[in-house]
Amino acid sequence: MTAETVPVAKEAPQPRKSSWKRTALIGLSRYGTIIGLLLMVLFFSINAPGIFLSRANFLNILSQASLTAIIASGLTYTLVVGEFDLSIGYVASFVGLIVTGLMAYEGFPIWLSIVCALALGSGIGILNGLLVTKVRINAVISTLGIGTMLTGIGFTYSAFPIATGIPRVFTDISLGRIVFGLPNPVIIMVVVLLALWIVLNKTDIGQKMQAVGSNMEAARLSGIRVDRIKIFAFATAGFCAALTGTLLSSLLGSGTLAAADGYLLDAFAAVFLGSATLREGEFHITGTLVGVLILAVGFNGLSIFGAPTHFQPIFKGGILVLAVGMSALARRYAASA
Amino acid sequence: MSATVSAADAWMRIRGLTKSFAGELALDRADLDIERGQVHGLVGANGAGKSTLIRCLAGVTSPDQGSVTIAGSELQMGSPQASERAGLAFIHQELNLIPHFSALQNMLLGAPKVTRFGMIDWKRSGVAARAAAERVGIRFPLDTKVSELSVAQRWLVMIGKALTRDASMIAMDEPTASLSEPESEQLFAIIRDLAAQGVAILYVSHRLEEVLQLCDRITVLRDGRIVSEAERGALDKKGLVRAIIGHAIRTPDERDRLAADRSRQSVFSARSIAWKQAVKEVGLDLYKGEVLALGGLVGAGRTEFAHLVVGLARPEAGHFELDGKRLDVANPSEAVKAGIALVPEERRSQGVMLQQSVAFNINISTLKLLRSVPGLPFVSDAKSRRQAESLVAHLGIKTPGVTAKIAGLSGGNQQKALIARWLNAGTKLLILDEPSRGVDVGAREEIHDAIRALARSGVGILVISSDVEELTLLADRVLVMREGRVTGELTGADITESRIIELSYHDAHDDQGEAA
Repeated sequence: MTAETVPVAKEAPQPRKSSWKRTALIGLSRYGTIIGLLLMVLFFSINAPGIFLSRANFLNILSQASLTAIIASGLTYTLVVGEFDLSIGYVASFVGLIVTGLMAYEGFPIWLSIVCALALGSGIGILNGLLVTKVRINAVISTLGIGTMLTGIGFTYSAFPIATGIPRVFTDISLGRIVFGLPNPVIIMVVVLLALWIVLNKTDIGQKMQAVGSNMEAARLSGIRVDRIKIFAFATAGFCAALTGTLLSSLLGSGTLAAADGYLLDAFAAVFLGSATLREGEFHITGTLVGVLILAVGFNGLSIFGAPTHFQPIFKGGILVLAVGMSALARRYAASA
Repeated sequence: MSATVSAADAWMRIRGLTKSFAGELALDRADLDIERGQVHGLVGANGAGKSTLIRCLAGVTSPDQGSVTIAGSELQMGSPQASERAGLAFIHQELNLIPHFSALQNMLLGAPKVTRFGMIDWKRSGVAARAAAERVGIRFPLDTKVSELSVAQRWLVMIGKALTRDASMIAMDEPTASLSEPESEQLFAIIRDLAAQGVAILYVSHRLEEVLQLCDRITVLRDGRIVSEAERGALDKKGLVRAIIGHAIRTPDERDRLAADRSRQSVFSARSIAWKQAVKEVGLDLYKGEVLALGGLVGAGRTEFAHLVVGLARPEAGHFELDGKRLDVANPSEAVKAGIALVPEERRSQGVMLQQSVAFNINISTLKLLRSVPGLPFVSDAKSRRQAESLVAHLGIKTPGVTAKIAGLSGGNQQKALIARWLNAGTKLLILDEPSRGVDVGAREEIHDAIRALARSGVGILVISSDVEELTLLADRVLVMREGRVTGELTGADITESRIIELSYHDAHDDQGEAA
């Protein structure tokens, strides 16, 4: 044994303190985000009944939320395994630019352009994963480095928005309503989130991801290939970022530099809000969805009340600090329980 | 009870101290007298109330009832500052030292410092610390960074820190848990010295021999109550164990020990394994059905050897054989696939996944067996629960249910869950590094039973333990390692504490200078 080893485990954790106050606090830390979401919906419904409380507006909220939800769920995977991905916004922007370029400049068919885009995003994710696990660069640094590079590479590829030569069918992907009259991005979000939820909660690899996130050394000694699991999580984050980028280009009808950069902060805010939802400081898909809805409802309400656009970053930044703060508090109660 | 000192004279008088958590009494009307100049041992199983008592004294926990009087004046409960002002110092197993600070900086941490022009005057601030260092016999320079000190030296720094504040009582929690035998001896000498200087020592330990040897007075707690109090010599080890667990345990000679039989099939072999300076030419054979143990001092290379076997590191020379076939594992995943598993030394940092459930912790190595449909990667909740429940019952793991978080279990039950992890995993060789460290006497016996049953069922068992008594209780054969080499082998009746210690320390006095 070396002098640096972690101290031996303390025995028998302190029995739980029982007090209604504590129970209420834990309850608040678990359901606080959901209560907050419901209160917001209630507030807007009462104060702007005609505008907020309508099918059209709800679909609008869901539509806006769907792109954030997809990219945030990918980010959730990297956080579940105890890592970080700061490149997702840049990946989404970059892939969004490339996918339109493939169609407009290279004459690729739509399906092939999308497949290439998603493969590109996953590939960037795998590269992130390799840098973190094999080269052992801190995830914050490696993903920020890769993301920054992508910005420059995107600029090199096309300094101007790619707006002409994009097939109508491509823009229809995000504008169409094929199932139940729901906007397609909402359907895509439901499918992606459901798949990610099943993988995380019901499969081998999901259990292994949770094990790696809980205790990496213990996971390694349990026979789990920690590096592969982490690379898988990064690849998923890259895939989801690419999907969001592609859908955004379809929505905008153009490939624009830096178009999706802002999703990074939205995704982080959502994921951390989610980690304080239902569980005690753990990252999970359901929580992330709740976090995304809080942001979407908030933005929607702000715009209905005609708040100037610069209120959005105040709300966004504020909610991120609030989210991380709540998550930290939830963790502390979890630890002392 | 044989209280010879009349209560009124006692320096510290604890009266009727009671504390309950969630309706359960953790401490039940505890009365205790502590005298200056005495080493007072506090023993009991986990959950017996030792930590609660100490936490109350430290002011970290407020008792529901009861009082503490020190030298005639009542101690304000629930205030760490008041406890410190009253001269009480507490040294926990996890030494609260800042690794990047020097020993001196650590000793002065939080103490008022002498300043000059607003800057800390280290020279003058250090006067009290230097005097304290002298008293505990610190021989290394005080400007050494704590990260460069051995665990034993860190203990000296902690004691020095307490003395710098003029502590009149020092409570120590499991001080020898990570110390080697000579280091422990050195610490005992210092403790006796401190007692002679009039400091009261409250000594908490699971190592009963130590307590019997060191303490002037021993208090035994069980289920929150003080069940026994004895002066030095009034209790022997058997009596002490009986007081702690409420019944007697088996002695080594009463249990069956498998005779070493070289004709049996070898499950696992190591051939001239070498790695860095830590492991030198280690060769061994593990025969079917036996519990083979590696004894020796902390730092003898045993843990490193285990890490080589499971692929956490690769040997620089030599090779392993499993079931007669040459084994080549590059990482723990390949080791697990080959049937080799390690229950690691550091339960908390390398073993349990604390925020996960008991079932999750047990099942994580056998996910493939728990699929709903073979071939598809979906894990069946029902199968997971069934496997966990059957293993929990099999090993007698005490838990409110398999979905309960493992963090809520006692150390002994967490350890059993870690053993359960490998029972259905097709394990051929299970290495257990310090299987009962920090586990109470009763749980230790149950862990030993489980290990022995596994060995008899044909799983190769390699136990690493620095607890000499554990080796005599558990092992069928003991290999003693010293400085990276196997220096001796003990079988049958030769497995005694004195023989193991002898082989562990053989010309160990060469290293003693280093420990100082």
